[in-house]
Amino acid sequence: MASKREELEIYWNKINYAYPILNDTLFTDCSDAEYEDIQQIIVGLGVQIKIRDLILVHTEKYFRQHVASSFWSKFIKTDEEVKGFQLFKSAVNDLYEAMASFSPMITRLTILNNSCCDNKPIYGERDVMSGIKQLLRATLLSQLPLDFQVIINHFYKVSFNVFDNAEYENSDMGEDVMCSGCWNEYSDCNCSYIVKVFHDTNRKLVELTLLERLTGQVLTNFIQQRIELHIQKLCTGTFDVSHISFLENWLDTTVMSWLTRIYCAGSSKPHRVDKDIQNAVSKFKQKLSYSLYHIYTKLRIDQLFNIIIVYPDSQPAVDDIKLCLDKTDLRATLCKKLQNALETRLLHPGVNTPDILTAYISAIRALRHLDPSGVILETVTKPVRNYLRNREDTVRSVVSSLTEEGAGSELAEELAKFAAETDDELEKEEDWDNWMPDPKDADPKVNGNDRKANDIISMLVNVYGSKELFVNEYRTLLADRLLAQSVINTEKEIRYLELLKLRFGESQLHFCEVMLKDVSDSKRINALIQQDKNFESLNNKFSSNAMILSAQFWPPFKDESLELPDEIKQHFEAYTKSYEALKGNRTLNWKPHLGNVNIEIEIGEKKLDLTVSPFNATLIMHFQTKPEWSLEELHQIMKVPLIILRRKITYWQSLGIISEKSTDNYVLVEGSDGNKSSCSTNQVQEMICEDEESESVMASAHDQREGELQVFWSYIVGMLTNLDSLPLERIHQMLKMFASQAPGTECSLQELRQFLDTKVRTHQLVLQAGMYKLPKT
Amino acid sequence: MKVTVKSWTGVATWRWIANDDNCGICRMPFDSCCPDCKLPGDDCPLVWGACSHCFHIHCIVKWLHSQPQQQCPMCRQDWKFNNK
Ligand SMILES: [Zn+2]
Ligand SMILES: [Zn+2]
Ligand SMILES: [Zn+2]
Repeated sequence: MASKREELEIYWNKINYAYPILNDTLFTDCSDAEYEDIQQIIVGLGVQIKIRDLILVHTEKYFRQHVASSFWSKFIKTDEEVKGFQLFKSAVNDLYEAMASFSPMITRLTILNNSCCDNKPIYGERDVMSGIKQLLRATLLSQLPLDFQVIINHFYKVSFNVFDNAEYENSDMGEDVMCSGCWNEYSDCNCSYIVKVFHDTNRKLVELTLLERLTGQVLTNFIQQRIELHIQKLCTGTFDVSHISFLENWLDTTVMSWLTRIYCAGSSKPHRVDKDIQNAVSKFKQKLSYSLYHIYTKLRIDQLFNIIIVYPDSQPAVDDIKLCLDKTDLRATLCKKLQNALETRLLHPGVNTPDILTAYISAIRALRHLDPSGVILETVTKPVRNYLRNREDTVRSVVSSLTEEGAGSELAEELAKFAAETDDELEKEEDWDNWMPDPKDADPKVNGNDRKANDIISMLVNVYGSKELFVNEYRTLLADRLLAQSVINTEKEIRYLELLKLRFGESQLHFCEVMLKDVSDSKRINALIQQDKNFESLNNKFSSNAMILSAQFWPPFKDESLELPDEIKQHFEAYTKSYEALKGNRTLNWKPHLGNVNIEIEIGEKKLDLTVSPFNATLIMHFQTKPEWSLEELHQIMKVPLIILRRKITYWQSLGIISEKSTDNYVLVEGSDGNKSSCSTNQVQEMICEDEESESVMASAHDQREGELQVFWSYIVGMLTNLDSLPLERIHQMLKMFASQAPGTECSLQELRQFLDTKVRTHQLVLQAGMYKLPKT
Repeated sequence: MKVTVKSWTGVATWRWIANDDNCGICRMPFDSCCPDCKLPGDDCPLVWGACSHCFHIHCIVKWLHSQPQQQCPMCRQDWKFNNK
């Protein structure tokens, strides 16, 4: 029996010799020939399965205690990219070598396993090799440290930089001393070493079947970061270039070829027809292109307000968004974000109505292009429409930009375009082949065709309500313009009227047609009356003209009284007589406060050529005959209410020609004082233009704003306390800057002037030579 | 100081010199035009009858055409044009 036991001990030692792992080591001199004998012994004893399982238990222990812990010990949290690169490389190397030293054992174990007839899978795999790899993987991952991604990230970052750099290599190499691939000096460039290590490491990871499990998440995160960086670098501030195909190309070439190289150990194409690798790569690509579209669209959505403002220059960017919206699920995000941007950047008192309208028009155009169904437009601009509806100058702004050239000409163009389009409109049939259902976020209450058909002008008209309201406002505007201009461009006005008639219908605009005809008739009548003999002597002094209006067709006029100087009245009487002679049974009712007067004022050595209102002309003519007037005297002679006199006389005060000597007593500023007045002729002319424009002579004016403007008063007092005196424009600018956030207030230059004038009248302000001051206390 | 007026453009409205404001036939103001016209004044003038009533010319002509007797619609006197 003892010999039997000894025999068994010899066998056991031989098995230990062939499988040193049983003693937790790998070193043995056992040759293949020697192993054949030992294999015989194992089979002879019939313990193949027991020995195999024992070896696997010991291998597991060895992996756990030696291989895994030394592998993970290199995964430290470091900020140095190059150090991380080296650490990961050596970790993978060591692991690879450790696995290599297992290979003689694996060969023997394979033979051993083949002699086992239990067909038991080795760690879920059919062959020993795969089973051992699986064991290694499982053991490693069971010990995964918290920050294992840090050095992997460094490793791929360093190598990606080399690849990304290779794409742009030819651009500006000459200027840099540093290689932008590895950040070493060119003479010391490390790029080829990095590429070699990169391929080597990846190949080893693939062989160990560790690549995907170890680096998959890191690579995904990393590439997404790179995509984001790349997009940000590419798409800041430029909207006039489409980036999407460039980005797709970049993903395909730089990113995907880099990724393929990782998976295929250096080759840029999966050379062997390896289904797994192909699958892995194409899955990766799907994920990445979705990220690409998503990141790009989000960036563009954040810029969308600015993109819209410069549309159509930004059409390439809009096209990109349009394409990406179909590939992502960002439609709702887009609506919400753009609506917010419009509200915060546009819909507050600091922005004036024409600017809001311009932005709204741009938005209509850009969003129509982005989403032809009109749903996004409708959703996003709803707050804009609600806001515009509550602004009192909306209609007026729309009407004036409809009929003005220059800055606000977009609408005018639109109007002309409409005229050109109406002819084709009827021929447009439903195109069933290209029919598309409304998007799912469409408001079911709105007819899809209405949404699409609305042109820009009707969208603006609809903001406010009725067509009639628009037409009325246009009439008032036209009336003001015809009366304010001394030279009227009738042809231009007629052209616009024709366009408007196409748009709003003949009957609505009939009144305006008569108004324009009055203007051209007046010219003819003037010419005839100038030839009248009775008129000749009067005309030697100065020429008088008249605008003869058909009262029934003009908007109602503000009723204002004004007693003209006698010589002017004589002129008008003579004019009326001539008119009556010319047109039997008809006579004229003069509106003395309307019209305009060209006067020349010689004061000191200065000559001023001014175009002023009849009131201003009459007033200054009275000061010519008598240099000092009380308000009451002026009231007696001009028949103008005191309050209006006090307000309007500020015009001459602002020119420095008249000053208020004591309360309600006015005196001409003659001679040297007059010369001192700081206004040059040019400035004066400008101020007059404003003066003529600022007040509508039509009765529709709103006079109740003063109360609301009171909000600004404390700001103005503050400004003038600090800065002593300021001109109107400067006050306006400063208010815009500092006080425009006050709720419910906005203030045009004209409004501010009127407001300040009331303060001058109530002696809370002093106006001297165009500068406002606080009165000295 | 010397003020020289170089030109003065005034504004006036024209009206018919008539003893009523509205046309007795179409009820429109005389200073407007009859329902068939678009432009007032020269294009839609007034005419006076011997009875001193006046109408838009188009209104009275239409009226006289529709009536068997040529009478002023206001006073029923025989209508005669008065070229005053
Ligand atoms: Zn009539
Ligand atoms: Zn008529
Ligand atoms: Zn009669």
